[in-house]
Amino acid sequence: MDFRFSEDQLTLAEGVRDYLTGTHGPEVLRRLDEAGPRDPAIWQGLVDMGLTGLLVPEEHGGLGMGLVEAALIAAECGRACLAEPLVDTAFVGVPWLLSQGQTDGLADVVAGTRKLAPAHAINPWVADGEGEALVSVDPLRQLTARPATVSDDPHLLNLGALMSAAQLVGLADAMLHQAVEYAKIRTQFGQPIGAFQGIKHQLASCSVAIEFAKPVVWRAAAAMQDGLDSAAAHVSHAKLAASDAAMLTAETAIQVHGAMGYTYEVDLHFWMKRSWALCGAWGDRAFHLKRIDEAVLGGSLPIGPEHTFA
Amino acid sequence: MQLQYTPEQQAFRAEVRAWMEAHVPKEPLVTLECREGYDQHVEWERTLASGNWGMVTWPEAYGGRGLDLIQWLIFEEEYFRAGGPNRANQNGIFLLGPTIMEFGTEEQKARFLTPMAKGEVIWAQAWSEPGAGSDMAAIQSKAVRDGDHYVITGQKTWSSRAAFADWGFGIFRTDPDSKRHKGLTFILFDMNSPGITRRPIRQLHGDTGFAELFFDEVRVPVENCLAGEGQGWNVAMATAGFERGLMLRSPGRFQATAKRLVELYRQHADHAAPSAREAVVQAWGAAQAYAYNTYAVAAKIMAGGKIGAEASLNKIFWSELDRSMHRTAMQLLGAAAELKRFDDGRINQWLEGYIFSLSGPIYAGSNEVQRNITAERLLGLPRVGAG
Repeated sequence: MDFRFSEDQLTLAEGVRDYLTGTHGPEVLRRLDEAGPRDPAIWQGLVDMGLTGLLVPEEHGGLGMGLVEAALIAAECGRACLAEPLVDTAFVGVPWLLSQGQTDGLADVVAGTRKLAPAHAINPWVADGEGEALVSVDPLRQLTARPATVSDDPHLLNLGALMSAAQLVGLADAMLHQAVEYAKIRTQFGQPIGAFQGIKHQLASCSVAIEFAKPVVWRAAAAMQDGLDSAAAHVSHAKLAASDAAMLTAETAIQVHGAMGYTYEVDLHFWMKRSWALCGAWGDRAFHLKRIDEAVLGGSLPIGPEHTFA
Repeated sequence: MQLQYTPEQQAFRAEVRAWMEAHVPKEPLVTLECREGYDQHVEWERTLASGNWGMVTWPEAYGGRGLDLIQWLIFEEEYFRAGGPNRANQNGIFLLGPTIMEFGTEEQKARFLTPMAKGEVIWAQAWSEPGAGSDMAAIQSKAVRDGDHYVITGQKTWSSRAAFADWGFGIFRTDPDSKRHKGLTFILFDMNSPGITRRPIRQLHGDTGFAELFFDEVRVPVENCLAGEGQGWNVAMATAGFERGLMLRSPGRFQATAKRLVELYRQHADHAAPSAREAVVQAWGAAQAYAYNTYAVAAKIMAGGKIGAEASLNKIFWSELDRSMHRTAMQLLGAAAELKRFDDGRINQWLEGYIFSLSGPIYAGSNEVQRNITAERLLGLPRVGAG
């Protein structure tokens, strides 16, 4: 029993964070918003880091890592508001293909020449798909209409929901950080607004929500990795906790930014819109609440102090 | 990340479970906040000690079992699974004990820890004063050095367990010219020393759990000072860290409440509001989240890390969770919520629990102070006001 990431896992996540911080700042999001949301150079950078092959077994040219590492990196993708379809391709599509025993073409995924756009009945769209274009509130999402026949495999849904939850805690972290930095420099009534308790307490509440959502996400990733029967309930718990933390933080962050928060000039809106999108993606709040409800009140999940890791 | 118990940990769980099932009182004890209930709870402390379960993480030399924090969590889970009573000596074992372990001399450890673990000496805390609640640095009670004694004069209030406890601890101003955080000293004292008057404070539910303490030239030997004169603030902050961070409220307590809430919901499902149903589901989720976080903190400490200001996040989370769960229970009980005993004679523990839960966001440093600490020390927002 050891609820910690290994040094290797933390080093990997830090590497991705540093890379994205250096190459994928808000100015890049603005450029993508004007010039079109996909950029082969950004994609190639992710491929060069080996991230498209993170979950691909070593015999197919990948790194052969697991869903815990993938969730940790998905959180970094959320923190950077990454637009490229890395999470859907490498952390949702690849493990789903592997679960179906499909290993053809994985080398192309690793090489970055093949992107995956997993379609599921729970979503009324496909991200980075090939059908008729749909317009998302998030200018950096490329949605298309859902094909006539799509999978309703719960495993695919769980992968999508888990990785959305992981991105949402990263998005929430980033929004909190932006609001905190703004509160330090924006002066009113002769002092930084961050010195007012009215601001401090709201931001502290976001911090509580985020810090207690994260371990739920990591636990869900481990539950899926370990193939627990209860994994679906834990994924839903993660999606619910991460969505609630991200929505609270989004609304608090715009409030802290005041009128500036309502402008295009402030970067916050990119993160906020991604959060709105992912909160509803891969099972909305009602869907996941119901699944937890069925597990907890329905009695299929053992509960109580002795069942922390059931 | 490895979230399975080892066979040794599973065997330990089985051992705790068997002992708890054989020893935890079948009927709930009378509330700790009155003489009768206090005596019952002290008796339970001694029963626990008879099984050597007083404080499992302490070294064997001090009445413990020398176990690690994961074993402690397993112990706590089984304790609350079995419905174990509240710990009469929580001020001692969860707050003062770890503080003595960190700051005490070998002599102090030998003298105080074993009787604490065995439930032979029950401890009260004496932090707050009438003018120093959330702002603890405003403390005025004096301890004046006179040879090999301190002479304490002043007043403490809202002191938990002070109505009945044997010994107390608190911080006192030993440098009369000092201000705020400086010149304070952490002192342990016998509650029955000449010059101490306890005046139990009647709480809102009518019982008396905490008390005012009046010190009139109370002589305390200097060897009862912890970590040296003038070090009181630092020591007290370490104690507060133990209180907020890990020890005081282990997750099993809240997971047990969440489970009872699920059972209560099932009994009242036919007239429950949809919002209450969601609150019950969320209670399970939040109690689990708190447990995961605690396992993560325990793993960090076992690897040599420390808990810092993030203890404030914990304190906010568990206290507001506890209040929310009991509020939901009161809603589910509806018109029966006000009854101190239900019509079948059972004590309405949800009502007692709800009233107690209202103190959670106040004690151990109010949640407003915790949010300030979070904002200033974790998020880096500017400090104002506090000196």
